[in-house]
Order: sequence, then C-alpha cells, then structure tokens
Amino acid sequence: MNLILISVITMGGLGALFAFILSIANVKFKIEEDPKIEKILEALPGANCGGCGYASCRNFAEEIAKGGASVNACVVGGESVAQEIAKIMGVELKLTEKRVAFVHCKAHNGEKMKKAEYEGIKECGAADIILGADLACYYGCLGYGDCEDACLFDAITMVDGLPEIDITKCTGCGNCMKACPRNLISLEVLNKDVQYKIACASLDKGKRAREVCLKSCIGCGICEKVCPFDACHMKNGLPYIDERNCQACGVCAQKCPRNVIIEMGMNEWMGERVK
Amino acid sequence: MKIILLFLSAALVNNFVLRYFLGICPFLGVTGRIESAVAMGFATTFVMTLTAAIIWFIDYFILFPFHLFFLEYVAAILVIASLVQFLEMFIHKSSPTLYRALGIYLPLITTNCSIFFLALLIPLRGYNFVQSVIFGFGAGMGFTLVMFIMAGIREELDFADVPKPLQGAAITLILAGLLALAFMGFTGLITA
Repeated sequence: MNLILISVITMGGLGALFAFILSIANVKFKIEEDPKIEKILEALPGANCGGCGYASCRNFAEEIAKGGASVNACVVGGESVAQEIAKIMGVELKLTEKRVAFVHCKAHNGEKMKKAEYEGIKECGAADIILGADLACYYGCLGYGDCEDACLFDAITMVDGLPEIDITKCTGCGNCMKACPRNLISLEVLNKDVQYKIACASLDKGKRAREVCLKSCIGCGICEKVCPFDACHMKNGLPYIDERNCQACGVCAQKCPRNVIIEMGMNEWMGERVK
Repeated sequence: MKIILLFLSAALVNNFVLRYFLGICPFLGVTGRIESAVAMGFATTFVMTLTAAIIWFIDYFILFPFHLFFLEYVAAILVIASLVQFLEMFIHKSSPTLYRALGIYLPLITTNCSIFFLALLIPLRGYNFVQSVIFGFGAGMGFTLVMFIMAGIREELDFADVPKPLQGAAITLILAGLLALAFMGFTGLITA
C-alpha cells in the first residue's frame, strides 16, 4: 500500500512539475499567427497530397495568407475551393483550368503481347525492375495498378490491365504520375473544348512496336503529314501535339492507322459534371 | 583525462547508431540534406544531455531512495517527452524554417530509442552526475557526427550513377552497413 502511495505521489509530482514548466514555456514561446491561415486551412480539402507544390495543406495555407501562392493553386479543390479562399483573402478569382491525369497507353490485356510467365510480386514497381516482367513492350502499362493504389480520390479503376481515369473524380494531384514506374501518366491541362492526346509511349521502331502490341504507335508520321495547322510533330518516333497551334480539327485522330490519338477536353469534363 | 576518454568512448567507440544500432529512424530518415541532418543531430544532443542530467537526479534522489526501480522506464518516458515538447516549442519560435525542415522527425525524438537507452544505461553503469552529463553529451555528439557523415555521403550520392535495383533505400542501407564497418576500426581504442 505504502509503495503504491509513494509511486503515485512521485510520478504525479514529476508529471505536475513538467506540466507546469511546459505551460510556462507555452505562454513564453507563443506564436502570433494570421487568423486567415486557420480559415483557409478549413476551406482546403486537407488531403495533404502535395499537388499544389507545397508539403502540406498547412504550408500552402500559410503561403496564401502571406500572398506567396495564388488562391487557385489547389488542384484538388478546384473551382469551389478557389472561390472560397478568394473570398477569405478578399480577391477576385479568374476562371481556372482543369488538370487531369492521362495514361499514355491504350493496350488492354490480350492486346499487349506477353514474353514470359510472371509469378513474382504483383506490383508495377517490382515488375519494372526486372525489365517489365511478362510484358513484351518496354514502354507500355504493366497493369498491376500501382496508380490505382496511389490515388487518394478513387478516380482510377483497373479495367482489363489498364487504368481508367474518371476525370470528374480526378483532381490532378499527380500521385498516380509519381507511382507509375514507367512514367506513363502525365498531368494534362484541359483548357479547350476538345483536345487530342497521344495514348502510347512506345519509342520502338515500327516493326517491333507492331509485334508487341495491337494498340501501339508505329511512328509512321501520318499525323504529322495530315495536320493542316503544323501542330503535330514527330519526336523520337512519337508524335507531339503543340497545343498552341492545334485547332482541334481531329484529322490526326481519324487518319491514325493505329488509333492511338485520343479525343478529350473540357467538353467531356463539363458534360460529365452537368450530369 | 577520464572524462575525455568517456566522451570519446560514447561518441566514437561505442557510437549509439553504428555500434548499438539505436536511433536508426532519424539516421535513415533525415539524412537527405546536411543542414537538416546536423540540426536534427544537435536537437537530439540537446535532449540527450538534458535527459542525462535530469534522469540522474530523478534516479538518485527520488527513485532509488524509495526503492521504486520499476518506475525507471516511466520516469524516463516522462522526462524525454517533456523535453521534446519543450524543444519543439523553442524551435518553432526561434526558427520556423528549421521547424518545417525537421517536420515529423522532431516529435519523433520522443521515441528515439537511443535517448531511452541512455536513460536506462546511466544507473546501470553507475556514473556520477558529471560523468552522466558527459556521457549524454558524447552520445549526442556521436549521433550528430554520424548524421553529418551520412548526410554528406547521401548528398554526393544524388549525382552518382547508382544501378537501378539499388537506388533509394537499398543503397542507403548498404551505406549504413559500410559506415558501421568503418566505425569498427575504433574498437579497442578505449576499453570502456
């Protein structure tokens, strides 16, 4: 009994002493904070995804309050959050554009050729280290869904070995981009009604590209030749579309013999959003 | 002379990180940049030195006279947690940049096993007050030294051509192993 009493008193006394010292320190080292920071933090989604370029939502809120970051830099919150923050900061908001993830591969299971049987860890990261495991194409989607796991917003589902991105849910945070060991996912800016993107990343020569995949770019350059606005150029055997020149006529997508040029854009997003 | 030997023993020969494999999490986690690694090292040294002093008083003036040996662990946790909380407030006030650079690793000093080990080792070794403080300070400086060496190598490593399967965690662990091997060279310098 005596032992218990002594233990309780000593530990309680020590605890109280430290608490007292800490409470004094708390008053002495108090930090004056801008009240806007708390308000902005509440308006932000709080996922700490880092899509804005700052380490956490809190860092971002501090930067906005200081005037260092623009109010619409939160890609996750989109327009509604930007409007709210603009109200807190008392500034006018210009219309924002939308950034979404886009997968530069189009081949589902059955369309991409296998070169071996793979029974290792079912993860893209692991498969990529051993030269792509069973996938014959050195550039294509491995299909184990690292991006799906990395997505915090449930916007990616694996369909037949290829990620499908729901652009109404996609917030453009770029987590999937970092998760893909083959750098197949990029963030594309949607700021026109219709835009054209290349859904293949293969740098292989035409013959091999044709052998390993049914949905590959063979680097034929037809898109470059048919483009009336000088917007499509071949680089390293892959076409690149210059958004400044592209008038969204869609000729390249129609003439592509492998159907790897895909149509997307604000129309799709706005349409989905209205629904 | 004995004090200097004790300091060298704690810092080099029986280095907490590379000899006892304690405090590995900040050793691998915060050694990306020299600046934050050294800051983390000094923060830990601060906590270690003060812990050594305070725990000596608590041990010899409160716990042992009342035969409360079983409360050593609780007392150590109490002291370390309070010190870290104090340090966090202090750094947040004095250097917000450093506070952000250290991030989650600052509160994690609380669970840094090397500090806890230090607190438990002091009564076992039977040091007096001055020896305890020197031992704590030496252990902290040893920790800082190892953090500094590791961060320096890892900064150079950013420009090195590391084979793909070894990139990231793998090469860091290999580095840690090589450093531990190098520190084996101090064994036998002092027998303490």
